[in-house]
Amino acid sequence: MTMTRRLFSTVAFGLAATVSGAALAQEPGLTRTSIKIGMFAPLSGANMAYGFDVANAAKMYFDKINKDGGIHGRKIEVVLEDDRCNANDLVAAVKKLVEQDQVFLLNGGSCSAAVVAAKEYVVRNKMPLVMLNASGDGALYPPTDYIFGAFSISQYAVGGAIVDFAAKNLGAKKIAYINHDDAYGAWNLEASKVDAEQLKVELAVESVAPAINDVTAPFLKLRAANPDALVIVTYARPAALIIKKAHEMGFTKPIILSVTGTASLSQLADNVGGKDALKNFYIQDVLADLPGGPKIKWVYDMYKAAYPDLAAKPDHPQTYMPYGIPSAMAIAKALEAAGPEPTREKFLAAMKKTNFDSGVMAGPVVFSETERAANKATIFIKYDGTNKSLVPGVYTSRWKYKG
Amino acid sequence: MDWSLFWLFAQQGLASGIVVGSVYALLALAIVMIFKTSEVPNFAQGEVFMAAGYLALFLFVFQGQPVWLTVAVTLVVSFLAAALFRRGVLRQVALASGSPVNLVIATLGLSYILKGLVRRTGFGDTPRSFPALVGTDSIMIGQASVTRLDLAILAAAVAVMAFVFWLFAYTKVGRAMRAVGMNPKAAQLMGVNLEKIHMLVWGLSGVVSAIAALLISPKILMTADMGSIVTMAFAAAIVGGFSSLPGAVVGGFIIGIVENFVGLFISSRAIAVAPFAAIMLVLIIRPQGLFGGKFAIKKV
Amino acid sequence: MRYIYLLVAVAALMVLPMLTTGYVVYLANLLLTFTVLCLGLHLVIGECGQFSLAHAAFYGIGIYVSGLLSTHVGWPFPLSMLAAGLVAAAVGVLIGLAALRMRDIYLALATFAFGEAMQWVFLNWRSVTGGPNGLRIAPANLFGWEIITDKQAYPVVLISAVVMIALTVLIARARIGRSFRAVRESEIAAQAMGIDVKQTKLAAFGLSAFFAGVAGSMFALYSTYIHPDSLGFSTTILVLTMVVVGGLGSIGGAVGGAIVFGLISELLRQAPQYQEIFYGLILVLFMMYAPKGLFAFLGDLWGRLRHG
Repeated sequence: MTMTRRLFSTVAFGLAATVSGAALAQEPGLTRTSIKIGMFAPLSGANMAYGFDVANAAKMYFDKINKDGGIHGRKIEVVLEDDRCNANDLVAAVKKLVEQDQVFLLNGGSCSAAVVAAKEYVVRNKMPLVMLNASGDGALYPPTDYIFGAFSISQYAVGGAIVDFAAKNLGAKKIAYINHDDAYGAWNLEASKVDAEQLKVELAVESVAPAINDVTAPFLKLRAANPDALVIVTYARPAALIIKKAHEMGFTKPIILSVTGTASLSQLADNVGGKDALKNFYIQDVLADLPGGPKIKWVYDMYKAAYPDLAAKPDHPQTYMPYGIPSAMAIAKALEAAGPEPTREKFLAAMKKTNFDSGVMAGPVVFSETERAANKATIFIKYDGTNKSLVPGVYTSRWKYKG
Repeated sequence: MDWSLFWLFAQQGLASGIVVGSVYALLALAIVMIFKTSEVPNFAQGEVFMAAGYLALFLFVFQGQPVWLTVAVTLVVSFLAAALFRRGVLRQVALASGSPVNLVIATLGLSYILKGLVRRTGFGDTPRSFPALVGTDSIMIGQASVTRLDLAILAAAVAVMAFVFWLFAYTKVGRAMRAVGMNPKAAQLMGVNLEKIHMLVWGLSGVVSAIAALLISPKILMTADMGSIVTMAFAAAIVGGFSSLPGAVVGGFIIGIVENFVGLFISSRAIAVAPFAAIMLVLIIRPQGLFGGKFAIKKV
Repeated sequence: MRYIYLLVAVAALMVLPMLTTGYVVYLANLLLTFTVLCLGLHLVIGECGQFSLAHAAFYGIGIYVSGLLSTHVGWPFPLSMLAAGLVAAAVGVLIGLAALRMRDIYLALATFAFGEAMQWVFLNWRSVTGGPNGLRIAPANLFGWEIITDKQAYPVVLISAVVMIALTVLIARARIGRSFRAVRESEIAAQAMGIDVKQTKLAAFGLSAFFAGVAGSMFALYSTYIHPDSLGFSTTILVLTMVVVGGLGSIGGAVGGAIVFGLISELLRQAPQYQEIFYGLILVLFMMYAPKGLFAFLGDLWGRLRHG
């Protein structure tokens, strides 16, 4: 049984590692023929959909690199841990990967609030951490030498961009804004306020708990503020409830849903009670194309080839799967640039110079001396239940980190 | 806030509160039913509700079975599964140790198992909806807007509650259930088969939860964690009086209305803490709830 | 005689950091923290029979008090640990006062509600707890020596746990322990024997909260970050199952339950697809076949094997 084998190998490896210690290569996780990458994501529980297939995507990309010969003759070896999307388990996973499995670098984190918990430990141990799809803004600002993330999108960008879109594209002067009272919510609201101020639009804000069942009260208050548009920056279920309620109450102004709320679009149409609720509806996205569209079809094909059993199950690949690609690409490129005798320092130095177009996301992956959030570009799609049409333009946030 | 807005909020809060409250009432009824007969608070009630909903989803949406078959199968399976859990697991736990905390932990174990099983099926990934069996167009009651489905939920909930009252108050089986709750040994001496009554109560509680799931899934959308609504049901049961069936129902409506009013007049953020504040207040000021009888000291 | 075993065990545990990686030491720190949490719950539920389900709230208070004192005021950790325990105890006594008239399920539900309300407070009191962004905890210090890594925290964590275990044993043997057990069996009989039931219950609530607060302070030693998500009912339930599965009513059960269940919880992380199901099955099976807890079960088994 896998569990016993893994337990045995963990214990055995732990003993071996402590005994042999520094007898291996200069850098941990590195041998003549392999580089060990420690991956962690939510593989179970309520938030599995945020990371399970994202990790699979990164793994399949690394497999492709290996098939093409590896990086400077070294194959990438992935050790995968379940972080259960909470701070305590994530820290346990990270500590296991760093100290027990002795990986060269960490590639993990789909849950922002949880990944922030590992910041001090990672920095203290001088361990490179390249997030998977977490926004993780709390760990990216102020920038550290070791942590890179927001390959999906920075939440600061989400909040600012959506206000930008509502004001510029839809001409809204007063925007009803509903978010969650969690870390995500705090980050995107902060940026939204910056953009709202600079564009001279007013925000009416309601914050709700993610487990909310009856959205009548917050919606009613927002409607009473007489907005020109409703911006929803919540997770998928509350978002669907709000759109439904808006329709029930005869709300006809534009509704814009942030990328945090878009899980499955077809399911969304069912969940809100049908196409009638989506007459004036826009969604924010961070991919280069519509899900499954021609530009990113190669990612879905690669997934089907790498995981034929999973692809046959309902709801696979999960919505966020493509987000694993830019993260894995960035790592592969930086490892390549670090040369045939890589060290963690060389890898990090190369990461800071990253600037490429993954072909998967709406914007390029760009890091610099002062920037650790990869993607800040979003696009908007008008969706009426059957047809998706891309609204031209790439939207971003005016928010800037004030060191 | 001007008067007209206040009035609108009050009407809508009341209407929506009653609708959502009827769901809390149904689940509270299921919880109190079990508690009245066996002194066990069923911590798996929410997950039974959730699992029943997913079974219906599977049959109706994925297998394309007709509505009547889906409803029938869901209700029957819920009854049997709950009754079997009582017979197979809880009976053994009660025999092994009389301690109520062990029974509670066993129900907790059930809640994890059910959640894990549903997640294994892969349907729990994205929020899903069960197609509404009744139209969702809006109807105005005064200035408040409710949907046809809302009214259907309320009507069905009231019908179920009435049935359960009738059962407990006027039938032989109901009397047996009450007797078991008041004094199991005496009931046994009077010829009541304890285990059969327990199984019946659990089965019934399962059916009520399943009905709640069929009614409300289109309204609140289904995820593997939707069982967390049970917290509201516990609050409802406490406010009403934990061993009172009518209390559970009234408590449900009260909690639903309070939730809405807190959200409308205090803050959306405070909605999450409202049920807990209600529980604490009631238990400190009037622990037997609104309808609970005099607070009896059981242990001597 | 039995103390020799204990001393050997402690000595063996002391050298653990030299033999293994920081990850294993981290696990040990976690298990020791859970041990102290379990002992606290054992006191209030196992010894005194009061179903207080607000444990995670006191744990959280302990973490925040300790963390904030270290970060902002720079107190040496023994002081901040004591403060954490005392503040938590004070809140525990307040809860006890409100709950004096409550019994069994009502007490359980009221304390459950308090625990959840406290988590909401942690999540919304941004100025103190950092709210949803969580709180950074600065390293604890003792006269200039900073505690940063798991291995550095470990000796302190181990000693704290041993001290709390000793304290539990003392309490159990003292008059207050007898009063607890008397109240658990029958309040009326206890009162008839001259025990001040009110004071006894308050002491149980207070001591249990003190233990939870100290456990929180231990957590703050080896952690750099705390988020309110881990301070809710699921943590209280985890501790409750540890105590019940280990064996309600015995100190060994509380300690053993913490260690065994803590390990199981971490091991289950290796089986993501099935862990919830396994966890539930373990609970159900234990309640069905080993109701007095794992150690009583093993003890019985051992006895039966020996005597045939």
